[in-house]
Amino acid sequence: MKKKVLAITAACAMASLSLLTACGGNSKAKPDFVMPEGGFNIDNPVEITFYHTMGQSKQKVLDRYIAQFNESYPNIKIDYTVLGKYEDIRDQVVTEINAGNQPNISYCYPDHVALYNRANAVLPLNDFLLDGEYKDMKITDAKGKTTSLGFDKDDTDAFFKNYYEEGYKFGDGSKMYTLPFAKSTELLYYNKTFFDANGLEVPKTWNEMEDICKKIKEISPDSTPLGYDSEANWFITMCAQYGSDYTSSTGKKYLFDNQTNRDFVTMFKGWYDKDYFTTQAINQTYTSNLFKEQKIYMCIGSSAGASYQIPGKDNYGNYTFEAGIASIPQINPETPQSISQGPSVCIFKNEDPQKVLASWLFAKYLTTNLDFQAEFSFDSGYAPVIRTVTENKIYQEGIAEADGQGNLVQLAVKTCLDQPESAYFVSPAFIGSSKARDEVGKLMQTVFAGTSIDAAFKNAVSECEYFAKSE
Amino acid sequence: MTDMMDKQETAAVDTAALQTEGGAPKVMSKNDVDSVAKRQRVVKIFVQIGLYAFLIIMAIAVLFPFYWMLISSVKTVDEYNATVPTLWPQQFKWSNYGAAFAADGLNLGRLFLNTCIVGIVSTILSLIITVLSAYAFARLEFKGKNVLFAALLATMMIPGELFTITNYITISDFGWNNTFTVLIVPFLVSVFYIYLLRQNFLQIPNELYLAAKVDGSSDIKYLWRVMIPMSAPTLISITILKMMGAWNSYVWPNLVANDELHRLITVGLRGFFTTETGMPDYPAQMAAVVLVTLPLLLVFLFFRKYIMRGVSRSGLKG
Amino acid sequence: MGMSKSKWSQLKAWIYLLPALVILAVFTVWPIINTVRMSLLKDYDGLALIGGESFEFGFANFVTVVNYENFTNCLGNTLLLCVLTVPISTMLALLIAVALNSIKFVKKAMQTIFFLPYVTNSIAIGMVFMAMFTIIGPVKNPESVGIINNIIQLFGGEPINWVNMGSSKVANMAVLVIYIVWNALPFKILVLLGGLQSVNKQYYDAAKVDGTSRFRTFWRITVPLLSPMIAYVVITGFIGGFKEYSSVVGIFGATNMGPVGSTGATNMNTMVGFIYQNLGTNQGTASAAALILFAIIFAVTMVNMYVSKKKVHY
Repeated sequence: MKKKVLAITAACAMASLSLLTACGGNSKAKPDFVMPEGGFNIDNPVEITFYHTMGQSKQKVLDRYIAQFNESYPNIKIDYTVLGKYEDIRDQVVTEINAGNQPNISYCYPDHVALYNRANAVLPLNDFLLDGEYKDMKITDAKGKTTSLGFDKDDTDAFFKNYYEEGYKFGDGSKMYTLPFAKSTELLYYNKTFFDANGLEVPKTWNEMEDICKKIKEISPDSTPLGYDSEANWFITMCAQYGSDYTSSTGKKYLFDNQTNRDFVTMFKGWYDKDYFTTQAINQTYTSNLFKEQKIYMCIGSSAGASYQIPGKDNYGNYTFEAGIASIPQINPETPQSISQGPSVCIFKNEDPQKVLASWLFAKYLTTNLDFQAEFSFDSGYAPVIRTVTENKIYQEGIAEADGQGNLVQLAVKTCLDQPESAYFVSPAFIGSSKARDEVGKLMQTVFAGTSIDAAFKNAVSECEYFAKSE
Repeated sequence: MTDMMDKQETAAVDTAALQTEGGAPKVMSKNDVDSVAKRQRVVKIFVQIGLYAFLIIMAIAVLFPFYWMLISSVKTVDEYNATVPTLWPQQFKWSNYGAAFAADGLNLGRLFLNTCIVGIVSTILSLIITVLSAYAFARLEFKGKNVLFAALLATMMIPGELFTITNYITISDFGWNNTFTVLIVPFLVSVFYIYLLRQNFLQIPNELYLAAKVDGSSDIKYLWRVMIPMSAPTLISITILKMMGAWNSYVWPNLVANDELHRLITVGLRGFFTTETGMPDYPAQMAAVVLVTLPLLLVFLFFRKYIMRGVSRSGLKG
Repeated sequence: MGMSKSKWSQLKAWIYLLPALVILAVFTVWPIINTVRMSLLKDYDGLALIGGESFEFGFANFVTVVNYENFTNCLGNTLLLCVLTVPISTMLALLIAVALNSIKFVKKAMQTIFFLPYVTNSIAIGMVFMAMFTIIGPVKNPESVGIINNIIQLFGGEPINWVNMGSSKVANMAVLVIYIVWNALPFKILVLLGGLQSVNKQYYDAAKVDGTSRFRTFWRITVPLLSPMIAYVVITGFIGGFKEYSSVVGIFGATNMGPVGSTGATNMNTMVGFIYQNLGTNQGTASAAALILFAIIFAVTMVNMYVSKKKVHY
């Protein structure tokens, strides 16, 4: 008898549990944003969470500006969480969306947003933009200053256009989901001392790069002339420079197996066999370390990594050489193409519209505050996302200090801003776009390791397609 | 099983006794005995040398990573990142330890405290639950006991990574995010510990139980007075394993309780230390790791005897 | 209460088990049920469910997993790792335990040394193994061939490309096996040494008097007497071996799961690694793979138990 009762109880418990989660799915969905009556209430305390990856020194910058933000909006408490890497943020947010307790604002990369949007979790920003739904709404902060709630014309124009438009790179491109936060690109770091001593010219095209590598090999046979940080960036950048297909967010997604791409991979394999370059993966160490130790004379890496490229010091505390920074080599220098990376921020939908508004105000503050953008960029090597920063005092002081040694970060930021705006490209974002990125990077590695071009391309495509979603 | 072992042992002793008496060679002279003894001694010395050589080589292999952790904790960042790793620090940077302690915003003390709270509470509760379950499986009779036990063992074979998402949803539904509860409750029951302790309980002769029954003492009394004292080593090793778990856990705490008040030590340490340039400061991180490992190490050394006894017992009965 | 004695003892047992069962039901059984559910929904994904998508019911996920061409590679690697590491680590642990048991001088210190890895941090260990085996600088023209290769050179051998670009699968496997064996040793030594210490000295005295060779003593006395512990470490070793994942990440990193330049078909990925890769965007196939893995572990454990029932001496 007891046993039966027990069995029935257990069965009931099981059934109710499974019912609970069976309908649990959709209750986790967050409602679309509806502007509350009276707009943002600056008297009611509201707490928002912000996920980012800033290290200690950048956090200090952030803390200062949060304090400044709180002078305007003392009722908004910013509670930030630091996670190690961009991927950690993605994994954490995905799990949290599953349970319905995602943060309010987060660092993001476009493919993360594509993933979050499977659950329609990210707030489209269109209504807050110039000529959007809320274009006439004003807000008066605690200091009595009245500004427009959304972006006005000045705000919008201040952004670098290309960075701003990255926010639209989703699906049919009609909605903006992200705001650019800080951007980086790849730069060519070179050993200026070595180049000057040997009368070498900084290469502007890949053909010139090949010549320079050949010359350096003649001057210094044991060296590897060039280090390239990321094979994946290399592949994607070459696609952009040749105008060949890489991926598409609509229709057939993985288009990178084509003759142009096969040809440039073959070309670089030839370079590899002549020991013209190494990469971080091949060498199992940061190429910046090799650069500092003068084992390579050129290094193509992120502008955000400029601080790692600062030349080493000898025993007397003097820098061992002077570094220079240039744009990366091109196929056609008239229309340069250079990859745009670095975090954007996205705002998540929430049941509480006050939280959404608070998040918007904070995101707007961070992306449009000139002082913050300037300070953050010199601390990190990321380039500011607003062009008006060039008129900012902090920025001008920083740039004036730029040199090829201790202040290499400033030089990197300057080089980024000197490049034409049209040079920066981003590839389409969709679920699985990061898989394509991983696979083309591996593809290059396998070819360098000796796999045939044909096998490497076919394997990369089939790996991508296995992990792609059937949409 | 214990009974059988006893029988075997008596048998072995018998034969041994037989051989010493009956098998002793009568024809051997005193000289012969001496030379045999001498040869045996030489062989013994060689064997001992061989044993020590083997053990020392293995010990070096086993200790190396430990050594690496220690030297890394006093290296400079540049030396740590050097392309050719150094086996002995070129210069000792003890300030890494200072950095680990004084790190702004890390609050090592709070992390220690949180970890201790979670470690101690979850250990105590876990011990109670484990003892009760192991007792039920070892001593009490009920329908479906073997099936249930086998089912529990089978759950050990499923990769736990798969549980994470479901469990995360569950605890969020309960509203347990950022509480000590979420760090303690989901892992209170370890099938492995129940198994370990059940094996141990099974070795305690049934006669004691029956005698206790005749005396009229209740199960709880018997459990408390007899079973628990007799399985102290196993309980101690469970305690240590559980504490070590609290000390080393990362994935789950990082996911569910990453706020100042509840953050555990590994979560706090991982990725905290960065250099001026934003690169991870591994040496300082290693120094912190050493600091974290130290208490564990001391506890471990102190209870070494019990841990050994406890863990080894688990294997006795199949 | 009008309850018979046996019924009371039945109920009592369930009361004792109640706390454990409740927690297990919520945090273990329910996730398992959920795993089965997800495995039966085609391309199940929690995010898409929240987004309002629905999923086809059936065995499609299992078909997808089994048809994935690199699945066999993951499975093969896992099986090979098990078959290699379990016997090697058990044998080595047994030898060390016996050696530890037959010395007198610095015995305690030695024992302690062999348990130290138990409290070593996993971050540290992964980095160390990498540093020991890796060739630094270009493979063709290395700056340093690593400590292990230095030792090989000391004995007149040629340096081997263990884990770098272009390394062979045999070399990769060897490094992984060494790493896993290293990791598994302390626990196994602990169990076996504990077992040895509870073995009655008289057996050995008898053997000594008998003039039995050490080798014979080892095989005829030590191994049979320790057989329950050996069975135990072998069974847990297999279960752990099938769940191997972190060692591959430790040595090769989570993105490649093999040396640079290896692909899905030639890398060192394991079953759990495969599950992890799927977990991000397709919990349906991840669950299917996990259930396949569970079936394999279950079958192997059953075989192990069956064999040990026959061979273990009690």
